[in-house]
Amino acid sequence: MKITNMESTLYVFNQDRRMGDANSPAGRVKGSGCLVELHTNEGLTGIGLGGAGVRPQMQAMVEQLLVGQDPRRVQGLWKRMVDKHFKGGHDGLINDAISTLDMALWDLKAKANGEPLWKTLGGSKKKIHCYASDIGLPMSDADIEAWYRQMAEEYGFRHAKLKVGLDQDADLRRLEMMERVFKERTDAPMLYVDANEYWSPKQAIRKVSEMEERCSISWIEEPARRWDYLGLRRVKESVRTAVCAGENLDTLGDFLPYFQHRAADVIQVSYGMTGISCALQIADAAFGYELPITLGGSPGLIHAHLATVMPNFMTLEVPDPVVRDGIFTSDIEVVDGWVVVGDRLGLGLEINREALEQKRVDVIPAGSGPSPFGRRPGAGLYEVLPTQAERAEAAKGVLA
Amino acid sequence: MKITGYRIENYVMQMDRSIADANNPIGDDLMPASLLWIETDEGISGLAFGGGDIEQFFHLLEGEDPREVIGLWRKMVDYVHKGGLVASGGPIAAIDIALWDLKAKIAQEPLWQTFGALEGRTKAYASGIGYCLSDDELFAFYRRMAEHGIDGGKLKIGLDMTADLRRIGIMREALSVASDRPQLMVDVNEYWSPKQTVHCMHEIEKHYDITWVEEPARRWDYEGLASVSRRIKAAVATAENLRSIGEVYPLIHNEAVDIVNVSTATTGFTGCRQVANLCYAYELPVSMMNCQANYMAHLAAALPNHLAMEVVDPGREHCLHFDNTIEDGFIVLGDKPGLGIEVDEEALRQLQNHPPQRKSNFPFARREGAGLYVKEPEVGEVPWK
Repeated sequence: MKITNMESTLYVFNQDRRMGDANSPAGRVKGSGCLVELHTNEGLTGIGLGGAGVRPQMQAMVEQLLVGQDPRRVQGLWKRMVDKHFKGGHDGLINDAISTLDMALWDLKAKANGEPLWKTLGGSKKKIHCYASDIGLPMSDADIEAWYRQMAEEYGFRHAKLKVGLDQDADLRRLEMMERVFKERTDAPMLYVDANEYWSPKQAIRKVSEMEERCSISWIEEPARRWDYLGLRRVKESVRTAVCAGENLDTLGDFLPYFQHRAADVIQVSYGMTGISCALQIADAAFGYELPITLGGSPGLIHAHLATVMPNFMTLEVPDPVVRDGIFTSDIEVVDGWVVVGDRLGLGLEINREALEQKRVDVIPAGSGPSPFGRRPGAGLYEVLPTQAERAEAAKGVLA
Repeated sequence: MKITGYRIENYVMQMDRSIADANNPIGDDLMPASLLWIETDEGISGLAFGGGDIEQFFHLLEGEDPREVIGLWRKMVDYVHKGGLVASGGPIAAIDIALWDLKAKIAQEPLWQTFGALEGRTKAYASGIGYCLSDDELFAFYRRMAEHGIDGGKLKIGLDMTADLRRIGIMREALSVASDRPQLMVDVNEYWSPKQTVHCMHEIEKHYDITWVEEPARRWDYEGLASVSRRIKAAVATAENLRSIGEVYPLIHNEAVDIVNVSTATTGFTGCRQVANLCYAYELPVSMMNCQANYMAHLAAALPNHLAMEVVDPGREHCLHFDNTIEDGFIVLGDKPGLGIEVDEEALRQLQNHPPQRKSNFPFARREGAGLYVKEPEVGEVPWK
């Protein structure tokens, strides 16, 4: 089997709720993406999702490094792509490109075997621990509560994560609300909070300590800058709550200081870290340190495939139990509060071509997609409360 | 596809020559061996080198899909949680190897491709494990390897500095047809204390540029290994006697190791790859240990940080057919499904029906004086003295 060519399609879709974090309290209502299709001479096509900003780089990599190659040799092709970008480094934009292509290669490898990816990776089908993730800092208390209740009642979630960071009183109030909702399902909900690097380490210590007086928190996510292993460790040693970090790192080497300095209690992994190939390497390295792994939100929950083989896997983030973009369907489901992988081939993603055609765009519009507004003023210094304009925007909720 | 049964065959390998190290410089040419087959309902079976008490794990495997090898690995490792892996690592490793062979055979591809390697090849180095070899035999071994393009060699040392220095020179001379500056490695198999190593390596490094010294302190002594690494120019290679990733991690965390020896000893292919990935995070190269028919080259070919694999070739394949060769200094794997190894059942039966009349000395006991003083070989113990 040989790779022949790549196609990519940009698309925009409406979200079911207004999403945002401490860096974007006005939130966003449009999601966007880039579908990459890697074709082969045997009619199989691998799907990668990502790389909207690096389509030329992906095209060049496909032409120079992948065409004519057998996609089942994905680990070697991954190394080729990484080594090709030795001088400039394979982080940043190049990381987006490699991650997306590597995903498509793994999809092809599994499809070539006639297997779902979890089986190709060597995993067993079992229930995967997970939590509901609001990514809803712009949402009103009532809207978040309604969303959590829906997650608990329709899908059986017992654990959840709250975006925090700008307004401690609001965060404490919403934290207790989250606890109330999930205590109706279990005596011991795992409650996570996420500051998205908005705090300094000392701000994090003060705020988390106060939260700990109200309820038991399972982790505080990104309580310092991604590279600040000393700051992360300081927080880790100063609060009872576990420190969870790594989401914005790109490469295996980026994690070395985390391991060596024991900067975090829980390591975040995603296929956006130089691909599925590298995500598996990070998990193995973390296993050597007995560090739990959490996998972040992923299209169609495809991270569940990886969860089946990561030896120290802890829990999977679920921002959406079903795919809301109207373009893809996935057979990975949340059943009674657990994620269950399916039996479709490869990643298990199927494309609705008609919907894709309706939603395709030539350029991703500003204000859609994750973190479209950059880092918020005041980050690491002092909290800048949402402005009048931001509150007004957030109050619009989701417009039809 | 479901696992339905297994078969173990035990036999004694009569090798073409003896192998020996500092702990047993006489060595032995007999080695106990086991072959394991894991059988399925579709007639395909997976082969592994190793055995032991498979029965204690079989209830975890029966009826399961062998392609779910990592899930099954996890079941086995969790099953022996209380007792740990030291006692049970052997059978788990053997089962894991057989499951990976099966997984590749089901996908109808060589195992190196299942692991995702771009090519079925990995760099080799020559390892005589030949403390029992005369100077001439030593030369012949490394020259034969060099004629296959192998440009690195490892020598067993530790008992006699004069002879060791001379024999490093013989190895270098023999390898010189493959490279003007062959990679020279030495291996003391935990016979020296850290300070003995520093002392001896200081002497050796006056004469030779040594790439690594292997097991220059006890396997668990991360402070001793680290102190050796800081005091000599050569890299410290170690870890072959460790049994899990958890045992490897203190060495890495404490900068006690420069090159990590990896093998199936850390619970098979699955555990070996985990260790290699941990090493990769620390930019540490790994070197695959030798094995029958070089089957571990399948994984080595896929590891991004694999340096070179140990090739001993003492003649351990008398009942095996395999499809890999050594070309231009690389182990080149074939395209047959799985490990690419088949057992010659008739030859195996012959070996089982005509067992050697004495007991093998493997695994070698630790030699007197280890870590304390050097007990030199007695007259007649080795042919080079």
